[in-house]
Amino acid sequence: MSILQQVPRNALVWIIICLFALLAPHAGRLPIWILALYVVAVIWRLQVHRGRWSFPSRSVKVAMILSGFVGIYASYGSFIGLEPTVALLLIAFALKLVELSHRKDAYVLLFLGYFICITEFLFSQDLSVTLYALVSVTLVTTALVAIHRPGEQEFRLGTIRVASGMLLQAMPLMIILFFLFPRFGPLWTVPIKSHTAKTGMSDFMKPGDVASLSQSADVAFRVKFDGDIPAKSALYWRGLVFSRIEQGVWSALEFYDIPANQRRPQEVIGDGEPIRYSIIMEPTQQNWLYGLKYARSDTRGVMQTSDFRLFSPVPVETEYMYTVNSWANVAVDEVLSDWRRKTETQLPPTGNAKTRKLSLDLKAKASSDEAFVGLVLDTFRREPYVYTLRPGLLPEQDSIDAFLFQSMRGFCEHYASAFVFMMRAAGVPARVVAGYQGGEINPINKTVIVHQFDAHAWAEVWLASRGWVRVDPTAAVSPQRIEFGLEEAMASEGSFLSTVLLSPVRYRSVPLLNLLRLRYDALTYQWQTWVVGFDNERQFDLLRSFLGETTAKVFAVVLLGSWALVLLPVAISLLFKRDIVPVSPLGKHYRIFCKRLARLDLIRGPGEAPSQFAQRAVKDLPDYADPLWQITDLYNQLAYADAKLSAANAAKDLQHFARVVSRFRPKRHSAALSKETEL
Amino acid sequence: MHIQGIIDSAVEEIGRTLLGKEPQIRLALCCLFARGHLLIEDLPGMGKTTLSHALAAVLGLSWKRVQFTSDLLPADILGVSVFDANNGSFNFHPGPIFTQLLLADEINRTTPRTQSALLEAMAEGQVTVEGETRPLPQPFFVIATQNPIHQSGTYPLPESQLDRFLMRLELGYPPPRAEREMLERRHSAALEIKHPRQCIDLDQLEMIRVAVSQVHASDNLLDYLQRLVAYTRQSAEFEVGLSPRGALALLDCAKTWAAMHNRGHVVPEDVQLVLPAVAGHRLIPSGDYAGDGHALVDLLQRNVDVVGP
Repeated sequence: MSILQQVPRNALVWIIICLFALLAPHAGRLPIWILALYVVAVIWRLQVHRGRWSFPSRSVKVAMILSGFVGIYASYGSFIGLEPTVALLLIAFALKLVELSHRKDAYVLLFLGYFICITEFLFSQDLSVTLYALVSVTLVTTALVAIHRPGEQEFRLGTIRVASGMLLQAMPLMIILFFLFPRFGPLWTVPIKSHTAKTGMSDFMKPGDVASLSQSADVAFRVKFDGDIPAKSALYWRGLVFSRIEQGVWSALEFYDIPANQRRPQEVIGDGEPIRYSIIMEPTQQNWLYGLKYARSDTRGVMQTSDFRLFSPVPVETEYMYTVNSWANVAVDEVLSDWRRKTETQLPPTGNAKTRKLSLDLKAKASSDEAFVGLVLDTFRREPYVYTLRPGLLPEQDSIDAFLFQSMRGFCEHYASAFVFMMRAAGVPARVVAGYQGGEINPINKTVIVHQFDAHAWAEVWLASRGWVRVDPTAAVSPQRIEFGLEEAMASEGSFLSTVLLSPVRYRSVPLLNLLRLRYDALTYQWQTWVVGFDNERQFDLLRSFLGETTAKVFAVVLLGSWALVLLPVAISLLFKRDIVPVSPLGKHYRIFCKRLARLDLIRGPGEAPSQFAQRAVKDLPDYADPLWQITDLYNQLAYADAKLSAANAAKDLQHFARVVSRFRPKRHSAALSKETEL
Repeated sequence: MHIQGIIDSAVEEIGRTLLGKEPQIRLALCCLFARGHLLIEDLPGMGKTTLSHALAAVLGLSWKRVQFTSDLLPADILGVSVFDANNGSFNFHPGPIFTQLLLADEINRTTPRTQSALLEAMAEGQVTVEGETRPLPQPFFVIATQNPIHQSGTYPLPESQLDRFLMRLELGYPPPRAEREMLERRHSAALEIKHPRQCIDLDQLEMIRVAVSQVHASDNLLDYLQRLVAYTRQSAEFEVGLSPRGALALLDCAKTWAAMHNRGHVVPEDVQLVLPAVAGHRLIPSGDYAGDGHALVDLLQRNVDVVGP
């Protein structure tokens, strides 16, 4: 094997580093045997390199590929979907290493490596993922540089400097392409992640659901208000409305549960200035979006349901940004349809008898629905109810009775659920609303960060002439929760994020850590607005703000122009670099001569001396024997003979040589033609 | 007489005894004209000794032959002082090395100790015996032959000593036609194999050497030489590149070759023709390189551009 086809040791080490660097972000999602495969592949290749083992035979390779497929099928149950496909790619990547022997194999491997870098974005587009992808790209490029340095038989860390230099030069081009390259819609779609768990709220709720969600410190969404941030206690982010209770489980109405004429929300006229804000959701794999009371969005693709929630027809699979206008004081559903009234007062026919009785007793005492609500809240306030993340288990049967009269310990969903049950038992339309309450204000960029532990459930009651009114029974039990958030409310119990030890949110009390966390969050917000959320529309907005109305032509000119502008310094520096290697005029003209012959497929090998080349050329082009020899002899004379003998004439000779070369324009067809005429 | 004529007649004369080996004969002459020592390496019976005898005869030099064996001692080559009882003093009996042309047969069969005694003489042109330095006659050539080192009972010459030989030649099997002629001669015995006659005398040798010294090597050519040398030092295929001595050897031989062909200047073809013989034994392939020394020289010749930038 020629040295040029071999993979130098330095490159092999870099390739192996790449292998693990590319595997790392996927490792958590992969079955353990793929990780083992990587270790085996690397050991095998290293043993081959040391001459201990040999490359796998064809039958072994086929067996490995087949068992890879079988393993994928066994682990994922399918070949379709994102995870099995990416896993397959990663297996191919490891197996290719085992048979890596020539440089061309290394090319395949490394170009596959670039592709694997991209696959990471299918799972997350977080800032940290992007930073890691930059590291991976640098490593792959380093390996690519290393395979082009046949001399390097020792591992060299310095190779990364070359690669980083190259990537830094490419950076301006990358930025231009990002902002200006036309963004088409997807040309094909990737199958939805089959195994990714849906996160956040689900479309049903049973006691304990919200409490378990509160154990997570993940970010649910970030909000940026156009004006001042409203008080925390007013931030009720509505996500889901549960109108149905069956066997102690609250669930939302399906689209088709609603009569066709009531599927659209009633017209509501928002009066006065709305609260304007934009929300960037973290991926949830669910359809619902969040917003404050009476939210309307002007973002394309955001819809409104009949219970005034925001809704996206496609599940939120990546960070999703939308803008909302909210009118907090407007009345919604001032007139309640019969179907709606019936639905929102429906209860299971039996069960929770004590609760029903209490409800009817209180209703009898109350003069109006509003007074009734007040009485029920008073009950919660008066009796020794405890707001806790550890409510203990409730029986399946009559769980509300058990909660209200025995345990008296509950989280928001217990209170909301019991409250709505009591309302309905007395015939007052009411429903459970789930979403988030409050949020953390990041002082650095004035955004509100809503975490999963802000998850909350509350109630809405329909009151004549006021429409749906928000009532939060939890506020009656634990006012701190609403004023200061969950951490404060659980301070005495010490149960806040008790199971997530490593979350930075847990260490909010350490000022430096907190500052770092908030800075990073602000950066993430910037990232999401400018990079992840930068779609085709925002691109047009950006261009419009610079250029006014744009046409495709202007677009192309701007793209190419800025591209050229970025490449110009590179071109100039290359131009000057060339001059460092002195070019002899004699060699230059001889090379022109060689180029003319190369067009006729007569290519001089580097080691071929001029006379040898001339001999070969004359054999092939006998018609040109005279000029060929003339030029070659002249060249030999000028290049190798004693220059002192003709120093005075050197410049003249060179001119002569240049002239002879420029006149030499060999063509093949003349010879071919003459042969034809002979025939 | 014209240099080329002298040389052609010498080549022809040697070619009478060693059939079908004209390129090797020319290279061997080139080596001697460049004042270098010659190493001929091949399997037994390939004509190594025949070539060296013929060379000695054609140059008309006084020559001695030493068959190297494993029990040969330095004194057997250099000479010894023997006590003369008649006049009560030590008399120096010069060894076979005191000659113009020494044929060292199978140099790799003797011990490193004896080898180094010979190689010192080759490098210095003088020998030191018992503290007294004695110059060797001029000109002084060594033509050594050796079997390929993988044969048993040999002490391979280390790289540093191989470097002392200007050229290493390999004879190889004769072409079929030449071999047939050789067989026919032996069979018929009609033509008595004549001992080669002298074709070049010392004056002519001196004339050739003057001519060599006047051969011009242009900047372009030296650039090419340096590119060659640099390539051997930078590429991964080479364990060890060409030393500066190797580069000088290459230039000397190329100049001699140009002079032998009646040219006043060196062209790249001269370098390329002498390259295998001059560089072959000085280049060591690196551990990862699959090819042997020949492939290495071939690689060098193919990859280094003759024409400068």
